[in-house]
Amino acid sequence: MNTLSKTLGFAVTVAATFAACAAAATLALGSTSLSAGSAAVTSCGVSSLSATRNVNNSGDVTQVNVGGIPTACSGATLSVALVNSANTSIGNGQATIGSCSTTCSATISSFGATVSAASVLKYSFAVTGT
Amino acid sequence: MRRFRLTPRRIAVVVAATLGFGTAAGFAATLTVGTWHLWAGSQTLTKTTCPTLSGTSSTTDTYVVQSTPGSSFGTNTTMLVKAPSGSQDWAFVRFDLSSCAIPTSGGADSATLSLYVQTAPGSSRTLTVTPVLSSWSGTLTWTAAQSLTYGTATNTIVTGTTTGAKTVLVTVDVDSLIKNPNANYGWRISDGGTTTATTTFGTSENTTASHRPQLSINYEK
Repeated sequence: MNTLSKTLGFAVTVAATFAACAAAATLALGSTSLSAGSAAVTSCGVSSLSATRNVNNSGDVTQVNVGGIPTACSGATLSVALVNSANTSIGNGQATIGSCSTTCSATISSFGATVSAASVLKYSFAVTGT
Repeated sequence: MRRFRLTPRRIAVVVAATLGFGTAAGFAATLTVGTWHLWAGSQTLTKTTCPTLSGTSSTTDTYVVQSTPGSSFGTNTTMLVKAPSGSQDWAFVRFDLSSCAIPTSGGADSATLSLYVQTAPGSSRTLTVTPVLSSWSGTLTWTAAQSLTYGTATNTIVTGTTTGAKTVLVTVDVDSLIKNPNANYGWRISDGGTTTATTTFGTSENTTASHRPQLSINYEK
């Protein structure tokens, strides 16, 4: 009897441990709950991007044009940061990648600040979306 | 060899593990976060300056005269800009950017056109710099100039009343030219004033190098 109690107690302990792990993975998204979980994050086929930009007569960036985006990214959001020599973003903007046939493109016309093209030494890109 | 014995304790562990993992897997399968695309990267730019373009090897310039509509002045050492309408003179200038070897994926950070006023008008004039959108040569005449197509005025030059170099930003035009180098037709300089005045600029044939038109370009690639 004593052996059986110990065995059942041990079994309950082990089961509770695994159940706790299970619960941690299933906490619901709710106003009073904290969730944890994971989901697959994949690329929509982008291997690299490059941009061209337009300027006004003063040399300020007026548009950044990004082409060669895979069609699988249609509907996703393209974010571009204009980065200076100190590796600091001096302007950034977003655009939704529209529907397209062969490859997609996106144009960003607002950067949250006036950005001198001469100060931009790097474009940083991010493509996010479902 | 030691024989594996199925004890109650071992049975309990197997049952508990099966239940625990099964429950976890079952809940994990219900997550509906969604499938996300995520990619990040960057493009580094190189900043360069093209040596100043000047002289007949890189410049084509001329002027046309309304009062002699069939004449051309492409080899003169000066070019005239004159008002008013009815007796106008227009100057034309363009530069060959090929020596800069700027890739079409590049772009102008800044571009400055410099014209030297050899003879200033009696009163300051505001001259209009207009991009030309069709082909012309040094033998251009007033009559032929009427058939050219022109873009929207890029900028203006205020002559003042003294001689010397006058600069004007033409960044947007040069940026466009870098991206489409086959559409290199330069600019027309005109005076839309209603009073009579003439401004005389040096041309690429001018014997004084500093009096020739110049184009300075800072660009990225």
